[in-house]
Amino acid sequence: MAEFEGCPGSRMADFRGKDEGGGDAPAGKVASQLRQWPIQMHLISPMAPYYQGADVLLSADCVAYAFGGFHPEFLSAKGGSTSGGKGKAIGIACPKLDEGQDVYVEKIKSWIEDAKINTLTVLIMQVPCCMGLLQLAKQAAESAKRKVPIKYIVVGVQGEILKEEWV
Amino acid sequence: MQEYLNKGIKEVIKQFPPVADILNEYDIGCVPCSVGTCLLKDIVQIHNLSPEHEQSLMAKISRVISPGQEIPAQAEQPARKEKPETEIKEIKYSPPVKKLVEEHVLIKCWIALIPAVIKNMNLESPEGRQLIMDGVDFIRSYADKYHHAKEEDILFKYFDANLDIIKVMYEDHETGRAHVRAIVEGVNKKDKKSVAEHLLAYQELLTGHIKKEDEILYPWLDRQLTTTQIGEMFAKFNETDLKFGQAPKKYEEFVNKIATDYSD
Ligand SMILES: [Fe+2]
Ligand SMILES: [Fe+2]
Repeated sequence: MAEFEGCPGSRMADFRGKDEGGGDAPAGKVASQLRQWPIQMHLISPMAPYYQGADVLLSADCVAYAFGGFHPEFLSAKGGSTSGGKGKAIGIACPKLDEGQDVYVEKIKSWIEDAKINTLTVLIMQVPCCMGLLQLAKQAAESAKRKVPIKYIVVGVQGEILKEEWV
Repeated sequence: MQEYLNKGIKEVIKQFPPVADILNEYDIGCVPCSVGTCLLKDIVQIHNLSPEHEQSLMAKISRVISPGQEIPAQAEQPARKEKPETEIKEIKYSPPVKKLVEEHVLIKCWIALIPAVIKNMNLESPEGRQLIMDGVDFIRSYADKYHHAKEEDILFKYFDANLDIIKVMYEDHETGRAHVRAIVEGVNKKDKKSVAEHLLAYQELLTGHIKKEDEILYPWLDRQLTTTQIGEMFAKFNETDLKFGQAPKKYEEFVNKIATDYSD
C-alpha cells in the first residue's frame, strides 16, 4: 500500500460488495422521530422549548447517513440499546468543516446552564477529526456552572457502533 | 439442568455442593451470601461473563448437576482467575454511579483503620470514648445518611425492590446499622470487648458489601438504566450533595486525621 494515505476522514472506501440488495433494511416507510426544527447548530436556539430538561444529542453530520437506524436508535423515546428514555432533542454540526465553532461552544454551554438539559450524548464518526466535536462539548461543559452527564458514541463508516462511553 | 436454572442458588448448592467451587472459580461470590434466593440463571446474567466463559461455566455446572447429558463446551475456557491480567477490563461507570464508587473510597479508608482504632481503644477516658463516637458519627452521617440514603432513596428506587440482589444490599445496610447500635451501647457500658467485636464485624460486612456493589451490582444496574434515568439520578445526587453542604468535606478531614494519627 501507499505510504501516505492522506487524512483518514477523507480516505476513499468502497462498501459495495457488502449486503448488495439492501441487506436486512426494513421495507417501506420508516416514521421520522425528529421532534423539532431547525437542527443545525448555527440555526438552533438553545432556549427552544424542546431543549428544556431534555436528553440532547449533539451529532456529527455524517452519522445520520452512516448509521442505518439513526431515528429509532438515537432519536426515539423507545430507543435502542444505546439510548432509551424520553426521546431526544438534537443539534448537528461538522467539527471539521464548519466555521464559527466558538458559537457552538456557547450554545452547548447554554443548553447545560439555561435549558438545564438532562444529559448530552455526542455522536461522532470513527475518523479522528470527528473527536473535535467531543472536545467542543467538553470545553463547553467545563466552562458551565451546572454539570450534566455526557456520553459519547463512536460510529464506524459502515454504520456499526464502535464505542459508547460516559465521559 | 434446565429446571435448576430457575432454582435459588442456595438450594442448588445444597443439593450439589461442588457448584460452590465452580462459582468461586469464576469469582462469583454467591456462596457466602446470606439470602441466596437469586436464581441460577440470573446469577449468570448479573455477572456479565463473556459468552465463552458463560458457556464453560454452565458446562461445568451441568456436568455436576446432570452427568451424562451435559452441555458440550466447544472450546473450554479457563475461569476468570486464570485469565491474563490484561484481559480484565476496567469498569466504566456512568457519572452518578461513579460518584457512589468514589464515596466508597472514604468509607473503605475508615474501615481499614478499625484494627488500629481497636488497638488504641480506651473507653475509660472521655476522649477515648469520644473517638469511638466520632467514628460512629462518620458511619451514621457519611456512610449511612449521605451514601446509603443515595442508594436506598434514589438508585435502588429505579429497580424492583423484590430483586434478590437489591434485597441483599438492604439487608447489609440494616445489619450495619445494628452493629453501630451495638457499638454505641458498648461505649456507654464501657464494654471494650463488645465494641471491638462489633467494629470488626462492621469492617467485615462493609468490605464485602462495597466489593459487591463496585464489582457486580453497580455495573449491572448501570447497564439497565436509560440515558434519561442516568441524567435524573445525577441531578438528584447533586441535590443531595447541596443539602449536605460542607459535611462530607468535614468527614474527609476526620478520616485523614485518624489516618495520620495512627500512621506511626
Ligand atoms: Fe450499599
Ligand atoms: Fe455503597
